[in-house]
Amino acid sequence: MSRSDIEPADSRPQVELSEMTLASQDTDIARGAPTRQQTERVRTTEAKSQGRLVRERFFRHKGALAGMGLLALIVLLSFSSIGVAGIPGWWNKDYDVLAARFNEGRPTLTLWPFSLGEHPFGQDVLGRDYFALTMRGIQTSLIIAMTVGLVATLVGTAVGAIAGYFRGWTEAVLMRITDVVITIPTVVIAAVMAGVVARFGILPFGVFLGLVTWTGLARIVRGEFLSLREKEFVESAKSVGASSARIIFRHILPNTVGVIIVFATLAISGAILLETALSYLGLGVVAPDTSLGKAINDNRSALTVRPWLFLWPGAFIVGIALAVNFIGDGLRDAFDPKQTRIKQ
Amino acid sequence: MLFFIAKRLVISFFIMAAATTLMFFLVISSGDPLSDLGEASGSAKKATIAARTEAMNLDQPPLMRYFLWLQDLGHCLVPGGVDCTLGTDRSGNAVLPQLESAIGSTFRLVLVATVIALVLGVVVGIVTAIRQYTTFDYSITFISFVLFSLPLFWLSTLLKQYMAIDLNTWLANPQFPYLTILLVGVVAGVIWTVVVGGDRKRRLTVFGIAAAATAVALWLLLVTGWFVTPGLGPVGMLISAGAVALLWTALLAGFRRRRILYAALTAAAVGYAGYLLSIPLLANPNWLTVLALLGLTVAAAYAAGGFVGGPYRARAARISAVIAFSIGLLIFLDRLLQAYPELSARSGGRPIPTTGSESPNLSGGFWETNLDYALHLILPTIAITLISFATYTRYTRASQLDVMNQDYIRTARAKGLSERTVLVKHAFRNAMIPITTLMAFDFAGVLGGAVITETVFGWNGMGKMFVDGVHTVDPAPVMAFFLVVGTAAVLFNMLADIAYAFLDPRITLS
Amino acid sequence: MTAEHTGTLSDDAVSPADGPILSVRGLGVDFNVDNEWVMAAEDVSYDIHPGEILAIVGESGSGKSMSSMALLGLLPRNGRSKGSARLMGKELIGAPQKTLRRIRGNDVAMIFQEPMTALNPVLTVGEQIREAVEQHTEASPAAAKERAIELLRMVEIPEPERRYDSYPHQFSGGQRQRAMIAIALANDPMLLVADEPTTALDVTVQAEVLELLRRLNKRLRSAILLITHDMGVVADLADHIVVMERGRIVESAPSQQLFLTPKEPYTRQLLDAVPYLGSKVGGVLTDVEVVDGSIRIHEDYAERALAHRQEHTAAGTVPALELAGVDIEYPGRFRQPPFKAVHDVSFTILPGEVMGLVGESGSGKSTIARAVTGLIRTSAGSVRIAGTDITSLSARQILPLRKKFAIVFQDPAASLNPRLSIGDSIGEPLYLHEKLSRADLDRRVQGLLEDVQLPVSFRNRYPHELSGGQRQRVGIARALSLRPSLLVADEPTSALDVSVQAAVLKLLQELQRERGFACLFVSHDLAVVELLASHIAVLSKGRLVEQGTTEQVLKYPRDPYTRRLLAAAPVPDPTEQAVRREQRNAILAAGTTAS
Repeated sequence: MSRSDIEPADSRPQVELSEMTLASQDTDIARGAPTRQQTERVRTTEAKSQGRLVRERFFRHKGALAGMGLLALIVLLSFSSIGVAGIPGWWNKDYDVLAARFNEGRPTLTLWPFSLGEHPFGQDVLGRDYFALTMRGIQTSLIIAMTVGLVATLVGTAVGAIAGYFRGWTEAVLMRITDVVITIPTVVIAAVMAGVVARFGILPFGVFLGLVTWTGLARIVRGEFLSLREKEFVESAKSVGASSARIIFRHILPNTVGVIIVFATLAISGAILLETALSYLGLGVVAPDTSLGKAINDNRSALTVRPWLFLWPGAFIVGIALAVNFIGDGLRDAFDPKQTRIKQ
Repeated sequence: MLFFIAKRLVISFFIMAAATTLMFFLVISSGDPLSDLGEASGSAKKATIAARTEAMNLDQPPLMRYFLWLQDLGHCLVPGGVDCTLGTDRSGNAVLPQLESAIGSTFRLVLVATVIALVLGVVVGIVTAIRQYTTFDYSITFISFVLFSLPLFWLSTLLKQYMAIDLNTWLANPQFPYLTILLVGVVAGVIWTVVVGGDRKRRLTVFGIAAAATAVALWLLLVTGWFVTPGLGPVGMLISAGAVALLWTALLAGFRRRRILYAALTAAAVGYAGYLLSIPLLANPNWLTVLALLGLTVAAAYAAGGFVGGPYRARAARISAVIAFSIGLLIFLDRLLQAYPELSARSGGRPIPTTGSESPNLSGGFWETNLDYALHLILPTIAITLISFATYTRYTRASQLDVMNQDYIRTARAKGLSERTVLVKHAFRNAMIPITTLMAFDFAGVLGGAVITETVFGWNGMGKMFVDGVHTVDPAPVMAFFLVVGTAAVLFNMLADIAYAFLDPRITLS
Repeated sequence: MTAEHTGTLSDDAVSPADGPILSVRGLGVDFNVDNEWVMAAEDVSYDIHPGEILAIVGESGSGKSMSSMALLGLLPRNGRSKGSARLMGKELIGAPQKTLRRIRGNDVAMIFQEPMTALNPVLTVGEQIREAVEQHTEASPAAAKERAIELLRMVEIPEPERRYDSYPHQFSGGQRQRAMIAIALANDPMLLVADEPTTALDVTVQAEVLELLRRLNKRLRSAILLITHDMGVVADLADHIVVMERGRIVESAPSQQLFLTPKEPYTRQLLDAVPYLGSKVGGVLTDVEVVDGSIRIHEDYAERALAHRQEHTAAGTVPALELAGVDIEYPGRFRQPPFKAVHDVSFTILPGEVMGLVGESGSGKSTIARAVTGLIRTSAGSVRIAGTDITSLSARQILPLRKKFAIVFQDPAASLNPRLSIGDSIGEPLYLHEKLSRADLDRRVQGLLEDVQLPVSFRNRYPHELSGGQRQRVGIARALSLRPSLLVADEPTSALDVSVQAAVLKLLQELQRERGFACLFVSHDLAVVELLASHIAVLSKGRLVEQGTTEQVLKYPRDPYTRRLLAAAPVPDPTEQAVRREQRNAILAAGTTAS
């Protein structure tokens, strides 16, 4: 009698009275503290889809909400200020225009009373507007990170799913390849080629980083597939003659979506840090593009005299990575009802 | 077990072979090794090109170059190691000597950082799990998320720029106004209160004791000039030895069995005797002497503790050995610190270095050399530790929480075991099982991260070799670096599996 | 065993003969979930006297376990208890942890349901017993070890000195539960709280563990608080019974009285729902006699059985399912020999017939169910479904045949895809095989929901919103969607509460009668099989040891294993169970000798 599943609403009309009276509470509270689902059973009468439950749990996670807010704010700021893809934004300076330095390039931003001033984040050694430059860096870094997240997720999911579902030789070959790639630390394998790939532009750079960071997800997805393919609902689908494709896409994959989404978010925050680290080593984004890491690298000698050149991009790196990490944590909690928060 | 190791070694060999192939071709296809010569003039350029072609076998096709590199590697695998050079870099210098001089500083950095991060991370992780959903738990969660999100190089630069400079300035004249001492006490009090928790009365007591103790201790350290001439001294050592004995007994055995407590105190006495007796031997020792003395102390304490332990011989002996080992570490630390005034003076009163892995031309004894290493390690270790610490804390917390919800913990409680036994004996070992795997991954990751740390702190380690090699499209140094890192990764994975089987009797190695 | 140690409380408290060991009054337990207090048990009152076995019976969610955990302050962190529970006059509820720690494992010990998870996997069994001794006595490690070995011997673990150093995973399920009992008895507790002590065990092992508990109870004169959902176990062991429902006590009476004249409708309903072994065929093992230590079966019955069997297989119709000489092997891995789960199994099910396949865990019964539905490959023999051998067919060739057979799984929670709506789950086979239009599909799904007596509105719900019984109904609807001629039911009700089980069985029976499909009903529970099946096949360690009509197998089993299985199954009637216990011991003593 050890079932701790999610249970239905109590107050809905039932067909059979005998089953109703005896069985409507057939989760054994004795096996553990009642979970949120069980109380939801008591409180709510309407049906909820799995997706909606996940959403509700996510929105209860304060850290994740704060992360969402922060990320949205940063994205909005960077894209609206200097515009994107030729559409102008509300900020009137360009990041690659040299100008005379104003007050030694110090930031003019004041918080109280709030005013942006001429150069809110100051100017770099060459007199470029550092606000525009930072915004541009955020855009680049975000685009690269998203590309990395997307590519790594797709490759990792595909490799893991195929290995975990088909087993046998396919699995052996795919997992050995994964082992080989995983033996090389990410920074190392990325650093070797990054310098070359980055010359082709930021998108190929992002794709390349994605191609070296999928291994973790491949292992996780394979593990999920290995356990899910033994589940009775998969056997049930097999017994009615569902094809392999149908079983993978309709039955197993939807049940792994939680871990995949969580990995994708973490891959994004990891990619932000990786991209900046590579740019710092001089192996990342090349001019005329700029990224947060490149901005720091370009100005690292200026730290003593012009610390703001170092701090602004750094603060945004931390901000973005922190926001994405919190979102990932919220998603993990939302997809994994085992970790229901119980207050003492 | 032997079969398992043999099997893993064979598999690892093939994985490494495949990985080196991949790396080699990635490196040589990553650019033109002659591109930096574009501006140079005629004859010099020609000579350089010829030299490089000779050193890097540029006249050969890529596949051939790989086989030539494999041949160089093969020389090192042959017993005796004749002609073992690991190839030559583009200037024609053998890579092996460069690697030998670089490997020490890198491993020092990585090992120290990993050990500190592991110990701190596991302890804090377990405390956060026990005190789940308290202010302490939330704070640590938030802090670890921030640490996760910090770029290593950015953090390192900040540490170098701000912390090191301020610390050095303060160490030149180590004084605090009373208000600062008080403030430090209050902060410490708040931290302890949050860690310990409990009802209002208990929280107030904890706050009072912790704040007062910290403030008084700090004040004592300042007035006795500890920050100028640090060290424990005979009295400090005696108090520390006793405290260490009580602490380990409280953690590992509890005070219910008097015989075990007596055994622990005996071990402390043995350790202290070792401290007094070893003073002449430790004037300028070498590593062998130090390790032999440590081994001797531990063995003596093991025997003495077992004897005093009586019916609890086995457990008492084990605890005694742990206590003696801890005291041994304290003695080492004490001796190391005694070299501080000398070194501080030599560095012109700015003892915390911000660049390099050791002071050039330092001619000192055993203690000076090692303290010099240690001081150079401080900043990079803090940077790496902070980031690894976040990972260990989160994983340990999750693992411990998972274990605490298991049925066997309920069984242990139902037996009437004390909370200490439940946590230390039943929960801890189970919670550590998944951490072993994490450790293997983390170690390899930190080794990779050395690439960045060494660049920031200007170390001449393997990471620098790698970065330079990548910039100049020079495969031999890059491959040498990868050989070390990859082998370490593979070996640590195997060690993790062995540790796993050691911790979990359900796993058999085959 | 001499009582060298006495509980800390019995020294200063009243002598045990004078009053109850434990007196519970108005005990309540609630849990804080999202800052709301949810009641788990309320106003629970009972007394346990020395030497008495008190059973608390209830279905899942009745609060029976939690109210017992509250006694020792072992509630999860978000739980709280109120009311009073006095152990030899000392109040337990609200007592400080320090006091409770001295009582736990010393005056009051606990046995839990799942011995695999209740024992620490990384410590040896001996160590786990020893620390319980050391915690409450001043015994030296050597003395405590001696005591632990003595305890292992007492719970009948063979070679206790050697097994002392074994880890829990090296014990069998029954041995693990015995080790758990040894831990509980380490300090001669005056009260033993046994929380579903045999639920995770096979029926023959269960019988042994119950026997052990009974003997220990008599010998040590300690009281037992037995928490269970199983009426058979209760009838076997309990002196007094407390029935709980939704956190409240419904009825409390001496064992005999409760089974004979239950007062409350809920108790009656509960008792009616319990399948009673032998109720359909009129008794079990009735025609087996033990004379002078050997077993005698009336010859004419045996002959009749043989004749019937020939008649059965010789009939002219094409069987719905025919297994001939089936072997199933799980492939070995490197350095690990393949494991043969099923050896040479042959049986036949005629159209419209229900065959019960009975066996304990590891007997290979679920393996056969999966092989029959083409989910795993056989290594020898043939599986004919309506005349076609499916073992030689490729996945593509099997596809059209899949309409003819369907399977219902054991765990209703795991057998439905959590991400598909109920309607999609039920409609999947129809979608795959009949390519219906959306409207037709909807109509068919609607009809199927009605067939299994679920409201049509359930179509848009998801599995997690349904109860276990409802989910199993969905599983049945899905299995029957293509009107198969053969239904394989793999323990379809073993994860359900007894009253839900009764309803699901009734539904299955009705549908079978209505639609006339043949059914292979796999179960460990003989009483359930008896209700449904006309024929029974008994499986032991991968071999078919006996098959025949239900009446034959239950009344005059020829195989010793079948007899053991039948004798071990408890029936929900204390009087009869006492008789059966005698019979069981006689049959076991007679062993395999048959004349």
